[in-house]
Amino acid sequence: MSKENVLFQVEEDELDRPVQEDEGAGSRKHLIFTVDDLKIGIDAEQVVEIQNSYAATYLPMMPDYILGIFNMRGQIIPIMDIRLRLGKLPAEEGILIVIDYNNNQLGIQVDSVDLMLDIPNDSIVPIPSQSAQKLVSGMCTLPDGSGTMLVLDCEQLIARGYGD
Amino acid sequence: MYIYETNTLLEQLESIVLDAEKENTFSQDNVNEIFRIMHTIKGSSAMMEFDTLARVSHRIEDMFFLIREGTMSVVKDEDRPALFDVMLHSVDYFREEMEKVEAEQPLNEDVDSFLGNINSLIAKIKGEEIPAEPAPQTAAAPAAAPAAPSVPPAQTSEGSAEFPYGLRVFFDEGCGMENLRAFMLVTSVQGFCADADFTYQPAGVESDSSLSETVIEHGFLLQFRSEADRARAVPIVMTAGSVHSYEEQNYVPAPPPAAEPAPAAQEAAPAAQKAPAAPAAQATAQQHQQGQKESLISVGLSKLDQLSAIVGEIVITEAMVTASPDLKGLHLDAFSKSARQLRKLTDELQDVSMSLRMIPVSNTFQKMNRIVRDMCKKLNKQVKLTLVGENTEVDKTIVDSIGDPIMHMVRNSMDHGIEENVQDRIDAGKDPVGEILLSAQDTGSEVIIQISDDGAGVNDEAVLAKAIRNGIASADVEYSHKEILNFLMAPGFSTNAQVTEFSGRGVGMDVVKSGVESLGGSVSITSEQGRGMTTIMRIPLTMAIMDGMEVSVGHSIFTIPINNIRSSIKLTEADILHDSVNGEMVKMLDGYYPVIRARDFYNLPGGAEKIEDGILMWLESGDCSYCLFVDELLGEQQIVVKPLPAYVNNFDIKNYGITGCSILGDGNISIILDAGGLYAAARNL
Repeated sequence: MSKENVLFQVEEDELDRPVQEDEGAGSRKHLIFTVDDLKIGIDAEQVVEIQNSYAATYLPMMPDYILGIFNMRGQIIPIMDIRLRLGKLPAEEGILIVIDYNNNQLGIQVDSVDLMLDIPNDSIVPIPSQSAQKLVSGMCTLPDGSGTMLVLDCEQLIARGYGD
Repeated sequence: MYIYETNTLLEQLESIVLDAEKENTFSQDNVNEIFRIMHTIKGSSAMMEFDTLARVSHRIEDMFFLIREGTMSVVKDEDRPALFDVMLHSVDYFREEMEKVEAEQPLNEDVDSFLGNINSLIAKIKGEEIPAEPAPQTAAAPAAAPAAPSVPPAQTSEGSAEFPYGLRVFFDEGCGMENLRAFMLVTSVQGFCADADFTYQPAGVESDSSLSETVIEHGFLLQFRSEADRARAVPIVMTAGSVHSYEEQNYVPAPPPAAEPAPAAQEAAPAAQKAPAAPAAQATAQQHQQGQKESLISVGLSKLDQLSAIVGEIVITEAMVTASPDLKGLHLDAFSKSARQLRKLTDELQDVSMSLRMIPVSNTFQKMNRIVRDMCKKLNKQVKLTLVGENTEVDKTIVDSIGDPIMHMVRNSMDHGIEENVQDRIDAGKDPVGEILLSAQDTGSEVIIQISDDGAGVNDEAVLAKAIRNGIASADVEYSHKEILNFLMAPGFSTNAQVTEFSGRGVGMDVVKSGVESLGGSVSITSEQGRGMTTIMRIPLTMAIMDGMEVSVGHSIFTIPINNIRSSIKLTEADILHDSVNGEMVKMLDGYYPVIRARDFYNLPGGAEKIEDGILMWLESGDCSYCLFVDELLGEQQIVVKPLPAYVNNFDIKNYGITGCSILGDGNISIILDAGGLYAAARNL
């Protein structure tokens, strides 16, 4: 898994360069979900599973965007409300996407899961710096023309737990 | 793999030697076993190119060859202690070198003095033996003698009619241990070819290093009955280490001047048959060893953890399925029948997966034999060690960490417990030979390890005087016998005036105590002056499972370790006292204890506000004692401790008295509280 992630990073880095190779860049499957009218995509390789119902156990002394922990087949997985994490108002209910990034597992609660799409790697472009969204590593226009997708930065999502 | 294997062999060797020492002789079986162990170590060390190890093991093997040939009677009685000493030293030596190999440090090259010891012992043994044995040419090859007779015909005849298909193998120049390398080939060939279907020359390579030269000069000749076998051997030879070249050669029977070749063939045939006979014993020994190897595999601890996690999950899921609310009110006979069966199987599965991590304490116990033996010699005391319940099985992590405390206690007993003078013991009406009893007992939830000696016991006055001198006790307080014994476990206490080699290095029983406590166990000492001392360690069977009390606060469920709980009390608001900074206290029995409300401390949504609506848990941990206010007691339960996810630990949650979590029977999660940590955190708020 981690190897693939590294691969993914390298490819992104390459895309950042001005010269692009159209062929051979390939594409990756992304899972696209909605959070407060935003379409956010995540590399499908990092998705472990999607859960419709789960029982979160409240864990005290945590930031408010950590809803608690839940038991996924014997593994204890923390749940993050992505709305609260992005500074939006909490939603009543949502769907849980369990991701695994470098063996760190995290459940993120989103409003709804839309679809799985092949996104060509070279269509992902960096975010214009003035509108840099936290936790987003890039964006792209969806091939079916239905809108724009933000690419979730899992590394930041998981690493940021330390500071704030 | 090499290290693991060698260490296992060394442990085997040590226990054989210790057993044998008691009898003051090696039985023929033991000798064979040691011979085999040394042989294996020598072979594998040579393969790994640890030359010094190979040399030492080779000498020991030679020595045991002599003993094996002439039985134990070749060793004179007065030489036997020296033999045992040399054997134990060599075990130590190999262990040390193994550690170096593991740490990738260079090996100790200077083994000459050690080899000298062995050589002189061999010389002594041979003093008796030499008349029976033809004097070997080089000191390195006393084993050469018996194998030698079968060699000469092999060198003259290039093959025989029975085994016409030859394969001559030459090894790299200067690769060393050619004879062993040749034997490795033989064993690989045995893998596919029956003993009767091939032969090799020179014979006896496995035990005779002088044949190395023959192998270097003439190559090593493998002869097969069928061409197909030879064809199969070729790839093996090609892939074997250090093989320089090989050539195939076919035996062409000379045109028959009938009289001559017939006896020649007959001569060759018995030689050929004799040759495999010697390695046959070797081969069975090796097969025997392989049988042992196959019955044991080493598995990473993480894999076992994964397994037990999944099994735990299966058990919970099984409960969820069979107790599903959808089934309520339905009468499903067939279903309940299969559900019961499923339940039984999952229970069994759980037991098995739990037992995988359990290993017997016998290894740790056996090591004490050695310590007692060495100390007896050094201190000139006579003590026997009795082991009880060695087969008690305990979690691997616990076995690893009780070794040091047990060793410390045994040393203590040897050094301080058993009387200096045998006469003192006789005067006290005791057996002149002291006894140390080491026992392990499994009570179901914990293992009790008891170390007792029948020595002088604890001198209360001396201990108290020392405690006062060290500032642990004060002179004007009366202490009970029990309290005085507890001083023994206070940090910085060591009653022996002198620091000895074995015990009393300024650290003492307190290390034992903290070691055992870190496993969640406890230590207690009882002693009667003149009768000896007994130390009892109680350690929970596995650290991953503990007894906890489930309590609820609002919607949250917490687990408090049962050993932290003193009692639980229902009180009313009126019983609560307030201090100047609005802290709450209660008066109980002999003192005042702070009250911490779990709901307020953890900012929990919901939960009882009035003292009347909840219950106070009186908790104790180390030196802190306080009351935790919770809603309700849900009951006592054995739980499997799971660590919190790493992501959550980033938030310093451990500093708030939360140590882990546990999955309850219904799939929900309870949070495990650490009474000490919670108190410390509450104090800092």
